[in-house]
Order: sequence, then C-alpha cells, then structure tokens
Amino acid sequence: MAGAGGGNDIQWCFSQVKGAVDDDVAEADIISTVEFNHSGELLATGDKGGRVVIFQQEQENKTQTHSRGEYNVYSTFQSHEPEFDYLKSLEIEEKINKIRWLPQKNAAQFLLSTNDKTIKLWKISERDKRPEGYNLKEEDGRYRDPTTVTTLRVPVFRPMDLMVEASPRRIFANAHTYHINSISINSDYETYLSADDLRINLWHLEITDRSFNIVDIKPANMEELTEVITAAEFHPNSCNTFVYSSSKGTIRLCDMRASALCDRHSKLFEEPEDPSNRSFFSEIISSISDVKFSHSGRYMMTRDYLSVKIWDLNMENRPVETYQVHEYLRSKLCSLYENDCIFDKFECCWNGSDSVVMTGSYNNFFRMFDRNTKRDITLEASRENNKPRTVLKPRKVCASGKRKKDEISVDSLDFNKKILHTAWHPKENIIAVATTNNLYIFQDKVN
Amino acid sequence: MEFKLEAHRIVSISLGKIYNSRVQRGGIKLHKNLLVSLVLRSARQVYLSDPCLGGPGVGGPPQPPPAQEQLPGEPAPGWGEPHARDSSMEQDPEPAGAAPEPPALPLALGKRSLEGSPLLRAEAVPEAPRRRVEAAERGGGGGEGALEGPPRARQCCCRRLCCSPHGAPRADCGCRPRPDDGAPPPPVCPRKRSASGAGGGPAGCLASGGSPVKKPRRDSEEQPGDEEEMETGNVANLITIFGSSFSGLLRKSPGGGREDEDGEEEEEEPQRGPEAAEPGPMYCDKPVLRNLNPWSTAIVAF
Repeated sequence: MAGAGGGNDIQWCFSQVKGAVDDDVAEADIISTVEFNHSGELLATGDKGGRVVIFQQEQENKTQTHSRGEYNVYSTFQSHEPEFDYLKSLEIEEKINKIRWLPQKNAAQFLLSTNDKTIKLWKISERDKRPEGYNLKEEDGRYRDPTTVTTLRVPVFRPMDLMVEASPRRIFANAHTYHINSISINSDYETYLSADDLRINLWHLEITDRSFNIVDIKPANMEELTEVITAAEFHPNSCNTFVYSSSKGTIRLCDMRASALCDRHSKLFEEPEDPSNRSFFSEIISSISDVKFSHSGRYMMTRDYLSVKIWDLNMENRPVETYQVHEYLRSKLCSLYENDCIFDKFECCWNGSDSVVMTGSYNNFFRMFDRNTKRDITLEASRENNKPRTVLKPRKVCASGKRKKDEISVDSLDFNKKILHTAWHPKENIIAVATTNNLYIFQDKVN
Repeated sequence: MEFKLEAHRIVSISLGKIYNSRVQRGGIKLHKNLLVSLVLRSARQVYLSDPCLGGPGVGGPPQPPPAQEQLPGEPAPGWGEPHARDSSMEQDPEPAGAAPEPPALPLALGKRSLEGSPLLRAEAVPEAPRRRVEAAERGGGGGEGALEGPPRARQCCCRRLCCSPHGAPRADCGCRPRPDDGAPPPPVCPRKRSASGAGGGPAGCLASGGSPVKKPRRDSEEQPGDEEEMETGNVANLITIFGSSFSGLLRKSPGGGREDEDGEEEEEEPQRGPEAAEPGPMYCDKPVLRNLNPWSTAIVAF
C-alpha cells in the first residue's frame, strides 16, 4: 500500500491504545467521534457521555528516531450534558456526534463539538504562568486588609505547571428540530454548517442567536417523507460549495451563490441501483452514512453499509471507484437487520495525499484501500498486538467454503465490536481508530 | 412460501423496532424509523402479493419477494390488486380528492419512482401499524408503560364491528365510504397524547404549531370502550393496522376535515418527538407482537 512518502508498501504498527481495558464497557465511555486537528498535533475524541478528550502529540524526540511522538492526554472536559426538553417531553442525549477543529489562529485552539441539538465552540488554551505578588491579595486569593500594606510591589509572572483550560466561547442552540448529524467548517473560517435529518443551517462563528437555513427537505406533509439528510460537508476550497448525502444513497452538491435556499441542487450524484442486488434491505444499505471531500477538493468519498465510493465532482452518474468493505455481509442482511447492525453508521477518511482511504468494519477490523495500486488491506485493532512497533498482520475474512488457516469465518465475526470512527493524520501516516471504548493509534513503520 | 414466512418475520421484527424506538433515549430517530418503515412496507408488499397465501395477491402476478418495482403492465401492483377486497373494508371516508380506494394507487417502491408520487408515499410511510402516542392522560407517566391492547377493532361508519375481516361487508351493514365525513373513527389504535401535549420523546406527538394540545382521541368517547375492544378484537385490529393504515391518511385533508386533524398529522411514522407538528404513525405494539398467530390468520384474511 503506497504511503505518503512513496510507492513502498506501508507496514502499520501498533503505537498506543487509550481507554479502559475491561470488557465491561460503560455506555458513557463509548467513543462517538474522532478527529485530528489541522496540524495533526492534537487528536480529539468525543464520547457518549458528552466528554471530549484531547490528546497531544509529544514533540519529536531527536533520540527517538524510530517512532513519532506519542499522544498523551492534553485536556478533558465535559462538553455537553444531558438535557430535557420539557415542552416536548424529549430527552436530549449528551453524546457528542461530531467534533471539528478550527484552524489555529493564535495560541489557543478552537473546536466545535455538537450533540443532537446544540453546537458549542470551545476554546482550549494553555496556561503556564501565573501572576504572583499582588498587593491586595494573598497568594490564595484572600484579600488583604489594605491597612496592612506598607510597601507596593509589581506583580510578576512566574512559571507554573501547565494547565490546559477549556472554556465554551459560543453556544449555538435552538436551531435544530431534528438530530444534528454533521457540522462542517467553511474554508472561509468564519462560517460553518450544521445538518440535521431534514435541514441544514449556516452559522457565523461569532453569532449565536441566529442562523440561516440553507437546505430544507422537510415535506409539507410529513407522510410524504422519503429521505433524510445523513451527512453534509463544505468543500475544502470553495467557500460557496457544500454537499449533503441522503438516506437514499444520493449526494447533492449545492452552490450557495445560486440562491439563499439551496433546495435545488447544482449537482446530483447517484448511481443506478443494481437490480440483481435487490432485497428487502436494499434501501437501508444504500443509505449513505458519511461523506468526505478529498483534501484536493476534486473528489468526494461516500460510505454506505457495504461499500466505499469515490466520486469525481465532475461526474454525477456514477462513482469513479467503488470498494467493497465487507461484501460477505450481503447474505446476512436479515440477521444484521434483526440485531440492528444494519443501521450502524460507518465513517470513512482520506489520507493526507488522498491516495488511500480507510473505513471500519466489524470484529474490530478496519480496511484501507489504496487508490493507486488498487490493493486493500484488513487490519484489526486489538490489544493482543499491543507491543509498540508490532507490525499488524493483515486479516482475512473467509466468506464461504473452506476456511484457510488464519482466516476468520463470517459467522465468527463479533458484530458488537465495530469500528465506526477512524481518522488519519493530515500529514503523516498516523491513524486513530476507535473501537467501542478504546482509541488505538497506529503508525507506519519507520525504519 | 418461504418468502412469505420471511416477510412475515421481517414485518414482526420491524414492528418491534418501531415500538422500541419509542422508548429510546434521545427521542425517536427519524432516519432509522424511516428505514424500518421502508423495510416494513417492502415486506408487507411481498407478503400480500405472494399468491401462495391465497390472499389478495391473487389479483396480481406473482412477484419475486424483493420485487419492489412496479410491475410492468400491472396498473396497481402491491397495493392495487391485493387490496381490491380491502376496499370494502375501507369504511373510513376519504377526502374527495383521493381515490376511493387506496389500492388504486400504485405503490412504487423503486428508488426513483417515488418522487413523482407523493401521495403514494403517504400510503407507504405509515404502512407500519400506527403508533400509539404515550399519554400522560392514561394515568401519569405514560412513558413506556402505558401500553394498550391491540388497536381498536376496525369499525365501519356505523360504528359497529359489523364488517367481517374477510372483505365482504355484511348485507345489513350498508356501510360505504363517505367522502368527507370525519365522523367515523379511524380504525386504528387510539392515539394517546401526553397530557402536557409534549410531543416528543418516546411517543409524543404534538399538534401543529407545537402548542401542547390534548388531542382528543379519535374516538375519544369510546376510549374506555377501546381498551376493552382491544383486548378482544386482536385479529380484527391487526387487520385494521395493515388494511386501513392508509385509509386514515387519505381521509385526512389538510384543511382539517377530520375531527382531530392533529391526530392525523401524527401518522408520519418515523417522526416523533423532534418536531412537534410532525405526524406520527400509529402502530400496535404489544398486541401485534403478542398475537402473531392470529396475525397471520388476519393477514390471510386480507
């Protein structure tokens, strides 16, 4: 598999794993989103309990030439709390659906995190100095009696242990009736969009009391509802362009210059259905769970239940590449429907050079597809390989027939162990893979 | 035949999912419920169109189980022919504009054919049995606990359980659909609303405008009676779910020609709490799941 550095195959090695070891997973610890920041130095995760944990990469150590810096906890904060909408008797989950980083403009870092209803802009700043020597205050903060002050001094900054503080700077609330599934920051770095099942809103990062509705697919008669919005993203370069995917397997590209309400798409990407694959569940598995533009902006990738598709923005009638993630599940759709796995929303991601794409699967497997060599690989995120720099062994699922040694049969896959969220460092071959409650970090082998 | 069993199984699984979604934390997930309703509709269509049941499917050519496209040359596949007999059971008045029988509208399940048939969609979506809305008025804490029995037995316009499930109206019934009479109650599970009117969460549905409304049950005056009927009229009620889930919809007119227009709005299946004004489907949960045997009998009766 070609890496960012050249045509040689990458060998992926275990680097770190974060999270509890025990099998009994607390629901609040289930990881619900993973995102690198623009430099790759920071890695944020959100969980079902509404917490955000940010890891920071150590500065590269000159002596440690055989591995890149490790990621250590940098900041942890409670982003969202459970809420109750009394008017509708509706509980609002605190689960973090998405985190998106803003590009760094000053010493502080900013990210957007969202649950089903509310988006928050968090400022993460470091404090490593504090003023000491106040005249009217003791060191512990108590006020001194002014009459006891006989001399004056100038307070000075003294170093202190690094403290990372997260504070909510903006709260964007009450704009979504349905569950928010996506947020995406515009390339103008001033606005961002948030998408729920039926609507997409455009916000300005500075303004919290209003947003513009730019897409509304809610039918006048809800009984006529046939599709919902499943994901949305701004184009990485064109600040007027965004796409949204639907539960019917279509992607619409919209241009905000065309009209204020972008209900009419500029482009509609849809692949005709293969009639031979028709089943009760065809509609479910064609629902797109994630859409991501390539870094170049020329392509976009969509993930549906069984495959990953790469679309050229210039061609609407079919994808340019299709990769089967776990085609062996096609014959198991009924069971997967029963156990709800068919509704799992897998995400996908590009590597920094847009040459490789990655997505997750079951049994803690994740898959990578090299667009150039057309080779693919299946790897497993497991604590069994948890010695640093252990090269991961490719895995193989045996769909039917004789199972070779080291292969796993479809029936022995653990469908409770699913990898829904993965992220690729924007510049390096470092990946973050989230199992249910653990975060694995893998790196390519550096010789 | 195994297709039919499969379809049957899928329908019951789907019903279970819809039921469970009402009590999920975080409110009803529109996306998932929409997908489940699609599966439910497909399975139901297969089930009903499979001629080996001797049921309504005889009217149409046998379709392969997954066939969801409109059959060429078949003017009213799925809904059409199979429901020809159902129409006699359709006692609910329908809006003047709608076809007198829902079956006449072809239900194209193909991916792309839906765009042109919003009205068909209206049929399609609530294929799932109507969902009950939890109601605090049931005695507080509606929540998950307030389960009712099966939906009220289907009643014809003379408010009697007079018409047999087998399609042929009794001679003495004399019922026929009245164009825009909102009076006859829709033969579905009585819908409950939370007393606070709060529509959201597991089962709430609000009137449009989002104002809490204690929506009258469709047959509010019969509510106490409903329960009794539901306890006993499972079979007929189950038929009601599937046979008439669209009749209620078609009865509905935007202007509120029905006695409780708000209630109708709730028939949108997947949508629940999030949008106050969203319709939500009625469905029968426990009774359906509890009575799968009579259920198949009921379906046969279609």
